[in-house]
Amino acid sequence: MMTFTEYAGSFQKTAVSFWHGLSITMSHLFRRPMTVQYPDRTPLPVRDMLPPRYRGFLEVDTAICTGCQACERACPIACIQITLEKDPANPKQRLVTQFDIDEAKCMFCGLCVEPCPTGSIQHTREFEGSVANIRNLVFRWSDPVKPFPVYRVEKGAEYFARAPLGSLVRARLEAARWNAAAVEYLPPEPPAPAVAPVPAAAPAPPTPTNPETK
Amino acid sequence: MEKLILRRVDRNNEEMILNFGPQHPSTHGVINFIVETDGEVLRKAVPDVGYLHRSIEKIGESTGYHGFMPYTDRIDYVAAMFPNEGYAMVVERLCGIQVPKRALYLRAISTELCRIASHLVSIGTMTMDIGAFTPMIHGIRERETINDLIEALCGARLTYNYHRIGGVAFDLPEGWRDKTLAFLDHFDKFLVEFDRLISFNEIYIKRLANVAVIPGPMAVDYGLSGPNLRGSGVDFDLRKAMPYGVYPEFEFDVPVGKGMFGQVGDCFDRYICRTREMGESSKIVRQALDLIQQAPEGDIVAPKVARNLKVEAGEALSRVESARGEMAFYLVADGTNRAWRVRTRTGSFTAMGIIEAISPGLMVADLVALIASLDVVAPEIDR
Repeated sequence: MMTFTEYAGSFQKTAVSFWHGLSITMSHLFRRPMTVQYPDRTPLPVRDMLPPRYRGFLEVDTAICTGCQACERACPIACIQITLEKDPANPKQRLVTQFDIDEAKCMFCGLCVEPCPTGSIQHTREFEGSVANIRNLVFRWSDPVKPFPVYRVEKGAEYFARAPLGSLVRARLEAARWNAAAVEYLPPEPPAPAVAPVPAAAPAPPTPTNPETK
Repeated sequence: MEKLILRRVDRNNEEMILNFGPQHPSTHGVINFIVETDGEVLRKAVPDVGYLHRSIEKIGESTGYHGFMPYTDRIDYVAAMFPNEGYAMVVERLCGIQVPKRALYLRAISTELCRIASHLVSIGTMTMDIGAFTPMIHGIRERETINDLIEALCGARLTYNYHRIGGVAFDLPEGWRDKTLAFLDHFDKFLVEFDRLISFNEIYIKRLANVAVIPGPMAVDYGLSGPNLRGSGVDFDLRKAMPYGVYPEFEFDVPVGKGMFGQVGDCFDRYICRTREMGESSKIVRQALDLIQQAPEGDIVAPKVARNLKVEAGEALSRVESARGEMAFYLVADGTNRAWRVRTRTGSFTAMGIIEAISPGLMVADLVALIASLDVVAPEIDR
């Protein structure tokens, strides 16, 4: 059983505990706040304050893409889709007719960036991509009407000039309104054949069904 | 389970069968407890897990060996470095890959920072479940700095995907060492302040001491591991008992519950074990940051790890001391480029087993303290 001294002592200890806790709380009045107000009160745009290794939206510089499909094979969830075709005008030249990255599906693991031989596919520091229609997050880096030819690596090349990292993604994000209509990939449904409206027939009497013969 | 729900309830007393969860904030995720109460006292609490099952082990059989690494982040998203390390280690064991020394130091640094971050969330949410809100904010604040550090190291704040089969993905960025050391200096002071703020608060001690006591032999019987086991007074840490990586080179203590304010193995012992472990992790990071300077730079991944890795038929097991207990990966390969079976053993799942045995006689509010002190994370239970 608790003696009176212990009982009174616990009061004293509680009071001391309060003093310790509240003194720390009080000291925070004189400390610098840790929180920042996103997005407009930061000294720089948040994307410029992120570390360079930040894994944001994927960006492909089509000028130095070799069409090797290493990124497509490395992707664990198959959110990269690449199609290569021969150039009808020049049979030796291959064209990338499709280079789609589904950024809505991407889990930003960075496995596709590592095998790229020229550094064409890179993570950027762009992350503000909220859109009303999720299909607008499929970034089509190759125009199917005007596909880009694959880049040929010169022998002994060590450095591949690349567009400034993030500029291509940012141009795309800024070009599209956040609530733009979703892209239609499938051809539209063929119009229904004109059929004369059938007059509503009287409902047929329910036919008794025999479950055994069914 | 069905029997328990449909059992006739005697209406003459205050017996009730309640669902605690799965959407209750103090169950730490989507876990359901079927609670038999008599007034305020528990007759029994049966955990009903499986609400967050994403069949990650099955996914490991369909993706390649490299492709499974980002999925391991999702096994335990509060401390994602540990499943990363465990999975990388099991494939390395199976293929006989030698990991460079520098990569091992980087692994130790990243996992120990991650352990600090995970324990900060754990003790923060524990204090909040008990009713103290401020310490959680303090814990999350310190974790934010660790998140920034890890973000600079590997590019992500939560699902790191930092470890690779045969090494790690990135070397230390410029200036990272100084930033980390500055943070650790600040963090050691923070731990003292945190003890003043809540650990030795009289109300907090009275609330946790002698609550939900798990004796040492019982903890061993039920397969508890990690801080839950050490809180019961059993000195078992995989980093000391079966050292992996570069852990034999570090000097650190293993905090063990001693029954500071009550019996050994109560909620307070498990809590204080975690706070002390953060200090030890801080020591390890300091030593690793010193030792890494002797390792040759740039050598962070074992050479000649095939991109489309084919593993010879065989099986291997790796055990990692995770923040939530022992995390083991068991992998069976059949000679193709996909695993035949991936099995994960996690600390949270075994911690759920003991709740049914400990709960009779507890108060309803003490069940919250018990769950919080076991530090369960729902995705790790179900995987």
